[in-house]
Amino acid sequence: MNFGVREVALNSRANAAPGWAYVPDTGVNASVTALQPSSRKRARNQHVASHQETTAKQDAKILRELVALDRENHRDVSIPVPIRHRDNAGRVSHGKVTPNVRKILQSQKTFANHLSDYEALGSPLTASTALTQPSATIPNTPAARATPGSGAPHLTSKGTRSHKKKDPTAVSTPTPLRKVFSAAQLTPAAVKSESSTADVPMPDAPILSQGNGTIPAAHPLDKDPLLVSRIPGMPSQTEIDKLLAAPPLTYNEARGPWVEEDMRKPVRQFCEICGYWGRVRCTRCGGKVCALECLTTHQEECFSRYGA
Amino acid sequence: MSPAHRRTKSSGPAPPAKTLVLDNGAYTIKAGFSGPGIKTPTPSIIPNCLARDRDKKVYIGSSLSACKDFSEIVFRRPVEKGYLVNWEAQKEIWEHEFFDAKAPLHCDPKETGLILAEAPNTLPALQTFCDQVVFEEFGFARYLRCLGPQLNAYNDIQSIFKPPARSPDLTSIPPAEILMLVDSSYSHTTVTPLLLGRPIQPAIRRLDVGGKLLTNYLTRLLSLRQYDMRNDTYLVNEIKEATCYVSKDFKADMEQTWKGPKGDRRATYETGGGIAKDYVLPDYHALTKGFVRDHDPDAATKLKELTKGKPIGASEDVLTLRNERFTVPELLFNPSDIGLRQSGIAQQILDSLSTVPMGLWPGFLANIIVVGGNANIEGFIIRLQMEMRALAPAECFVRVAKAIDPIVSTWQGGAYLARDEDQLASLSVTKEQYEEYGSAWVARKFGGR
Repeated sequence: MNFGVREVALNSRANAAPGWAYVPDTGVNASVTALQPSSRKRARNQHVASHQETTAKQDAKILRELVALDRENHRDVSIPVPIRHRDNAGRVSHGKVTPNVRKILQSQKTFANHLSDYEALGSPLTASTALTQPSATIPNTPAARATPGSGAPHLTSKGTRSHKKKDPTAVSTPTPLRKVFSAAQLTPAAVKSESSTADVPMPDAPILSQGNGTIPAAHPLDKDPLLVSRIPGMPSQTEIDKLLAAPPLTYNEARGPWVEEDMRKPVRQFCEICGYWGRVRCTRCGGKVCALECLTTHQEECFSRYGA
Repeated sequence: MSPAHRRTKSSGPAPPAKTLVLDNGAYTIKAGFSGPGIKTPTPSIIPNCLARDRDKKVYIGSSLSACKDFSEIVFRRPVEKGYLVNWEAQKEIWEHEFFDAKAPLHCDPKETGLILAEAPNTLPALQTFCDQVVFEEFGFARYLRCLGPQLNAYNDIQSIFKPPARSPDLTSIPPAEILMLVDSSYSHTTVTPLLLGRPIQPAIRRLDVGGKLLTNYLTRLLSLRQYDMRNDTYLVNEIKEATCYVSKDFKADMEQTWKGPKGDRRATYETGGGIAKDYVLPDYHALTKGFVRDHDPDAATKLKELTKGKPIGASEDVLTLRNERFTVPELLFNPSDIGLRQSGIAQQILDSLSTVPMGLWPGFLANIIVVGGNANIEGFIIRLQMEMRALAPAECFVRVAKAIDPIVSTWQGGAYLARDEDQLASLSVTKEQYEEYGSAWVARKFGGR
């Protein structure tokens, strides 16, 4: 308990010493949030269909089970690194241990610690990149995703060959054929820095080839509005460059979403005893079972458990 | 003198003759040497763990193969959620495998380059730690840290897909131009679109379902329904690998394995319905490795007659797997089955595409490659193909394939890259550069910024 006092890191570069770490006081177990980062606020505002509404008790149970599924061993174990003989026998000497390395080797932080450090302190670098990120890159934008019905990606119904055929109406940037693949093209684009000598010759472009299949012969009905094939134009070189130069998302941003379409579907329920569809609800704890036989088995335990 | 000039001329010592390619996974390390002079580089698969068996004996990395009794074995893994976190343990394992005099893959880091694969979306702090240890502690001559999925693009991708065949005069120049890479591994499953071997960072998605979660879920089901297997996750993992499959028709398979209402046992339940399998558990005396066989409903009575009057050791312990066989890998496609609020792999691929211009969709959808251990689960590829076909725009061609060897595919790509000296040199950082410009510069270079 911190009695309402918030600890503020004065030095944003404060590299925590081994053994302790700044942890954002969110009131929830950090390892749990790392696994399923859904803040209470979001959970409350999230609109879900009625049949998959879960009570707080059930939510807690699901979270507890997910944490258990994420464990390495069933019990907490500590396996110390075996102590080697000090006489350097058969051991490669890597020279003196630098202070950096000593700190790293002594650190006993887990991934959850590192993640909350990162969230708490952040780094000036990521703060700026978050601002420059194009809005389209933010996950959870199902609007950007076109479903077959919405008709946006209306390509062609003739299979892939016709992809090569240029549509007269489509706005496409002519992209030259890829000719030679020079090693320089692979250089991470623009390693620019004040001190850097990285005067890497910027490759003209990583250019996508347009395929080298044969283009089908022209047909008089190609221009027919019913038969014409529409292919979305290839993105221009600058667009591709921009895409490739975009900074990585953070760990939490990269977590795949639960798309709206799946949210609407009823969550499948399984029998807690045998794994068949859960069709009956236990009146006492709300757990699902398949039929009378499994219900009896379930209730034997359910009724005798204290505090259930 | 221009900086570029200075850099090219005074690049110092000759490049290292061989490169250690390291895919440092959470479950296994895939490691081996490659270089222009090495004809057929081959990887070793090393368990990335410190393990302690019930006699309190500690095994490091590859020495785990000496272990005979895996009951109640516990593990400590330096890689957590796919990211290298604990350097104390990792250094011990690396030294045991690469730097000790008796190490199986002995090398002198001062004369060796390193290609190290990392999982996408790592925390910057962990990346910095990694760079510092590689140069300051081990002192590798040259170093490239890049995303594991990225290395896959250096494989010959088009030969993995079967139809339509390409003409023999077409040769592929790595890296592959366009590739949608699904890496379903021990800690998680990631979706990475790659253009010319470079990742489209804002489109990378992660599904928090991996081999570990599947194993733990199977452990829970078995412990609940049959024997308590909670201290034998190693064994459960073997059961999972031997018996689990991804169902093509989940509902039908579920009906096949139902026992039926009370007093009315279904015939398919008794006979197994073609799905139930028996797994004979090892006792680590007579039998050191378990095996699968078709379900035999009369096995118990037969065994009783067979072992009548014989010592207890002659009996065997059998686990019967029914719907566990397909409900466990089903989590990859329906994570909400255990309450995980994420969509399945197919939706993640589509969500990743949604950040990419529409013009690139056909290319990505026609080049989906799956790597990682879970790709070996029977039926995985067919199911993913089915789901992608249903979700993708009808006009697009959808091709899904698994890499020839999904577990070492990333390593193999790294090995191909290491044989191309020019490409590797342009991507890597030498020790001299690290000492001159520092770790922030290195991080920027590897970040492509």
